Amino acid sequence: MSSLVTARGVSKHFGSVRAVDNVSFEIEKGRILGLIGPNGAGKTTLLKAVLGLTDCDGSLSVLGLDPFRQRKQLMQQICFIADVAVLPRWIKVSQLLDYVEGVHPNFSRRSAEGFLTHTKIQSGSKVRELSKGMVTQLHLSIIMAIDAKLLVLDEPTLGLDIIFRKEFYANLLTDYFDEERTILVTTHQVEEIENLLTDIMFINDGKILLDSTMDALNDTYVEVRASGENAARARGLGPIAESEMFEKSVMLFEGVSREHLEGLGELRIPSVADLFVAKIKEARK
Amino acid sequence: MIANQLTLIRRELWEHRSIWITPVAIGVVVSLLVMAMLALASGFAKELDVAIFGAQNLADEEQRSIALIMHFLGTSWIFLIALAILTVFYCLDSLYAERKDKSILFWRSLPVTDAETVISKLLTAVFVIPLITCAGIFVTHLVNLVVTSIWVSTKGGSAGTLIWGSLPLIDIWLFTFIVVISSAIWMSPFIGWFLLVSAWTKRMPLLVAFMPIIVIPLLEWIVFRTRFFASAVGDRGDNLPIFHVGDIKMLFDDDEWLRRIHDLQLLDLIDIGKFLTHYETWIGIIVAGLFTTAAIYVRRFRDES
Repeated sequence: MSSLVTARGVSKHFGSVRAVDNVSFEIEKGRILGLIGPNGAGKTTLLKAVLGLTDCDGSLSVLGLDPFRQRKQLMQQICFIADVAVLPRWIKVSQLLDYVEGVHPNFSRRSAEGFLTHTKIQSGSKVRELSKGMVTQLHLSIIMAIDAKLLVLDEPTLGLDIIFRKEFYANLLTDYFDEERTILVTTHQVEEIENLLTDIMFINDGKILLDSTMDALNDTYVEVRASGENAARARGLGPIAESEMFEKSVMLFEGVSREHLEGLGELRIPSVADLFVAKIKEARK
Repeated sequence: MIANQLTLIRRELWEHRSIWITPVAIGVVVSLLVMAMLALASGFAKELDVAIFGAQNLADEEQRSIALIMHFLGTSWIFLIALAILTVFYCLDSLYAERKDKSILFWRSLPVTDAETVISKLLTAVFVIPLITCAGIFVTHLVNLVVTSIWVSTKGGSAGTLIWGSLPLIDIWLFTFIVVISSAIWMSPFIGWFLLVSAWTKRMPLLVAFMPIIVIPLLEWIVFRTRFFASAVGDRGDNLPIFHVGDIKMLFDDDEWLRRIHDLQLLDLIDIGKFLTHYETWIGIIVAGLFTTAAIYVRRFRDES
């Protein structure tokens, strides 16, 4: 498979603060990568570097381009929606379509209008007259009408109710994603997207804690719910995290085969959220 | 590149509707005032008959022409003052508003460079706003001409002789167009400075923009007892080198006008070659370029997160 994004030793400093610290990774075509991290972990800075919105140290290539120095060429092939990249409130929907049509060579106005017919958004409405959910629908309709190779989503559904959130990701999968396209997404509501992801990356204090495919994740990590003597035996196998639930010990194992754990208790595939908390705690020890 | 610029300039007209609303509003007000004056004059029937008779039979074409030129240029100066104020507020808002409403990252998510964006704002300030203002002036002139012609005809005068035959309309329009565009180019260092302030300041762009213009001459006078900065910057507006004789202040001085216009045709007052070869014109363009480059740099490297 070919790499869409290749980062080698990427760092970004703000004074003495290392927002991104010597990070290396690759994103391949046709994947949906979730970038998960606590507030201030460096997610947005890393995304900005990928989008060419900020300069960085190290080597970063996106679609074979230097994102900061070739931002215009890059933006013809990638799109992003971020909670901080809000649509201007004064603009009319029709003007927005005119504008994007005027500056973006890969934008299909007909597709955007087609997506908008499934919403309550009127072409004569101003953005300020739309609800937050409708503004996101409008933004998504524009993005989906762009023939882009990489879509970057930074907390795209922040502040939306659950119906809009579900709809957002459903539309994205149904109408946008295919094997030629790649999605890079960050969100705090990781439980809502973990079933969509093909790859996952955890970041904390500017460093990558985990970089894995979801398939490999399910093979590598196992959660065991055990009690009594079994719990003690499981503890002897070196869980990376342990908590108590309903008088049972819930232990998370990394790289321990299921055969070793069978018979000690109930085995489960850990949720991304649980795994994330465990890895963060492990990193902070 | 050009198609992109046209789209970017359209965006400016959508966002800053005052660019075209202001000339339209002034045109309506000026036209209403002219109509009110004509209605008022209609109340003095006897005096009006004498005036029309005098204008038609006693005054020569040159006198009628001078009176009409002064009237039509007189209605233009309101537009020019509005143009100056509009341009200041437009420039200061143009790169500040997108940061204030947090839409800058959306604009930057599209394949448009920071240079293209800032240049579109410079072009809007230097050419688009003056061109729209000129269009407002010309349409207002036409409306007033038609209204006045009808009024003169109803009062027994000949609109053909009194107005259309004596009015060098194309000369007036050309004169207005050249003065407006050259003024915008002449004042472009200020436009560049305002764009830089708009891209850079976190708050109160108006204050930040005018503070150095007020404080530096004051400090220079207190410390050195000189007024180099004040004459280079503060007096620049009065020194537009486009006139053969006199300066831009004569446009606002009726007596000065009367003295000049007797000797020359309207367009003879203008010397485009002098403007284009004047060293201060080019210094101004270079300074505007430097400020604009700085504004591009600030927009590109500033992290808004």
